Amino acid sequence: MTTNVEAVANAPSDSLRSRSLAALTWRRLFQQRNAIVGMAILLFLTLVAIFAPLIAPYDPVQSLLGIETLKEREAPCIHVLGCPEDKPQHIMGIDANYRDVFSRIIYGTRVSLFIGFSTIGMAVVVGAIIGAVSGYIGGWVDNVIMRLMDVVLAFPSFLLAIAIITVIGRGLQNALYAIAIVNIPVFARLVRASVLSIKEQEFVSASRALGASAFRLLFVRIFPNALPTLVVQATLSIASAILEAAALSFLGLGAQPPTPEWGTMLGSERNQVFTAPHLVFFPGLAIMLTVLAFNLLGDGVRDAMDPRLAQVAKK
Amino acid sequence: MKKMSTLFALLVAFSLVLAACGSGGAAVQDEFSALAEFEGLKLDAGSCDYGGKVLSIEAVDELTVVFTLCKPDPAFEAKIAFTPFGIQPQEHLARTGGTGELLENPIGTGPYQVAEWDRGNQIVYTRFDDYWGEAGSASTVTLRWLTEGAARLQELQAGTADYVSNLSPSDYATVQNDPNLQILYHQNPNVFYIGFTNTASPYDNVDVRRAIALGIDYQRIVDNFYPDGSEVASHFTPCAIPNGCEGESWYEFDAEAGRALLAEAGYPDGFTTRLYYRDVFRVYLPEPARVATEIQAQLQENLGITVEVVPMESGEFIAASTSGELTDGMHLLGWGADYPHVTNFMDFHFGANNPQFGNAHAEIYGPLQEASSIADVATAAPLYAEANNMVKELVPLIPVAHGAAAHAALASLQGAYYPPFGAPQFNYLNNGTDSLVFVQNAEPISLDCADETDGESLTACQQVVETLLEYGKDSGATFPELATACVSNADSTVWTCTLRDGVKFHDGSDFDADDVVASWARGLDASNPYHVGNTGSFDYYGYLWDSFMNVPAE
Repeated sequence: MTTNVEAVANAPSDSLRSRSLAALTWRRLFQQRNAIVGMAILLFLTLVAIFAPLIAPYDPVQSLLGIETLKEREAPCIHVLGCPEDKPQHIMGIDANYRDVFSRIIYGTRVSLFIGFSTIGMAVVVGAIIGAVSGYIGGWVDNVIMRLMDVVLAFPSFLLAIAIITVIGRGLQNALYAIAIVNIPVFARLVRASVLSIKEQEFVSASRALGASAFRLLFVRIFPNALPTLVVQATLSIASAILEAAALSFLGLGAQPPTPEWGTMLGSERNQVFTAPHLVFFPGLAIMLTVLAFNLLGDGVRDAMDPRLAQVAKK
Repeated sequence: MKKMSTLFALLVAFSLVLAACGSGGAAVQDEFSALAEFEGLKLDAGSCDYGGKVLSIEAVDELTVVFTLCKPDPAFEAKIAFTPFGIQPQEHLARTGGTGELLENPIGTGPYQVAEWDRGNQIVYTRFDDYWGEAGSASTVTLRWLTEGAARLQELQAGTADYVSNLSPSDYATVQNDPNLQILYHQNPNVFYIGFTNTASPYDNVDVRRAIALGIDYQRIVDNFYPDGSEVASHFTPCAIPNGCEGESWYEFDAEAGRALLAEAGYPDGFTTRLYYRDVFRVYLPEPARVATEIQAQLQENLGITVEVVPMESGEFIAASTSGELTDGMHLLGWGADYPHVTNFMDFHFGANNPQFGNAHAEIYGPLQEASSIADVATAAPLYAEANNMVKELVPLIPVAHGAAAHAALASLQGAYYPPFGAPQFNYLNNGTDSLVFVQNAEPISLDCADETDGESLTACQQVVETLLEYGKDSGATFPELATACVSNADSTVWTCTLRDGVKFHDGSDFDADDVVASWARGLDASNPYHVGNTGSFDYYGYLWDSFMNVPAE
């Protein structure tokens, strides 16, 4: 009976508030040119990743030796720009192992987006749980957890990722774990801070007075209110996660050949920057575009959710 | 009485003769005294039961050393010309305790002496003015290192280096088309191979190994990933080495036959494995990552084998691969000739005690052991043919290619060359100025080359420390260096080396036979107090002479 009373008392207002917040956020988001550009690029990249097999003209890992007459690290051949019609078109050129760079870039989109979402997904889930529990329970549990998070945060994140890979071994999967681990404290601290402030608010006290369980209080009443900041941070972190993964792969610690990963592509041809610049230019451009898209979107989401900006908009 | 007077007359006459001889007589006496006083060092194993090739090394006089072998060694002269067998003063070895200062400051008889080793940056040599041979034109030589081929070439193009080693294959054309540069081709016999350790599945199955040998397009690898002058390996040992190419040629590429054999072995759909390599330039494998990726692609395409390529740190890779620890995959490795003899390739890799390929095959090492004591090339040929045929039959490894290499120098550098064995001697290089800069691809590990095996260390040592014989500038033939001659008895078990007179070490001391014995004893005798070095492994002493003397029982 108590629960029903509580549900009746709260449900309409919650629903109304979340609907209005979401609608407001979307509306503000679409008012920002940067965010629109970021979303457009991201939409484009997502479509490229989904339809990679249809877009890429070649298998990204297949050597074209014996199939076409090629030179190693051949420059781009684009028919409309004067490349002879009888030569097969490779709009981003050929790499050192006689593979089509364009196809590898296209498939690399899948890898990079997967890296971004999966690492930050892992970090958000684990970090949020740790932060929420820590903030809600408080006391020595909070102290221990937060000091642990401080220890992790004390290390430069990239060095810590390298150290973790040294222990668990190289490879894309382990790189994902490493990047996720170094991002956990960021989300843990963020959620903890939100929980600490929200748990003292009246609606939480009211729920507690009505007999809500600790689990319900934490994950139904408090946690949803911490989500906006989490979303903003997650969007911004995806960009840095993609960069970190590319850097690890560049160093040979992340994705391994023949995976078409942009960082790996950059790393394997780093010495050819003067002799075959297309081999470093296109993967570099792809990384830059993806990171830019997430950063623009992240900034946009942050601005859209910032209440001060909302006040400015009302005036 | 008559006898007494005759005896007295003889004594007087003898005294007068001695008096007349004067100082000449004294000289003869001194010489006799010296001969009587010289008690040369001797390294003596006592017997050949310890398993090594050297029975004793003895300084019989100041300028004569006698090597007594347990069995004939047809490659004796070629081996003693190798840099790890360089001679240092016995006093220096004793003073340093065989390590410490010795690792960075070798004392030799060579044309240059080490002035300073700025770790991580450069080694500076100064000319040794009392050098017995052709003095260098530059009074200072700087040895530097850059791991990236492109960076080395840039140094040369900028004129900040006179000579750079190990051109990247992609830079050949650049050097050839630049009138300010010269390209120097390097004819060092070498082999690049894919190794298996046959102690774990699936590589314990010879059919799997044979299938992989059939499933690799060797020509495609050589055509697309090696510089001009490289060739597909028909045998493990390059044909430039006498007896290297005896026996049947290696398998031709036949993907269909490979797949069929793999299916017979129980892997119709292939399997998943690893391919280990180190990403370090070597003449036999100039672009390891590219070749590893190519082999990965070929095995997937031709045999359905899914390969994960695993680059490893160089030292870790060498340790793991040569000790047979990489059982869950194949490994890419190679070999560059240390000295021009087939034993340098075959005996090292297929010897009974080499764990690299797992369990050694008696079918291979049996004929090799028999052949290793036969000096005549033609007599040994059938045994090497038998061994090569068994390598093909049992496939402990897959020989892939013999690589060609090139180095580059400023066109104005006179005397620029790169010998087939060893490294160029700086004293033969003349850029017309008082200083010379040589850039190689890695920093030496130490300058105690009795205990080093990497080419970068040996190049640095070779300028300082000399050996009894030396290799030619354009061949593997040996020529006198610290010894004016080394001659053998009829069955090539006793070698008498006559040393060069008047040679001085960089510390001003005189070179003599005791220094030779002391230097060799340090490397060969495990109980020698100076058998310490950098790591203490003294690899070349151990494997070129089969075993160390006085190895402590474990």
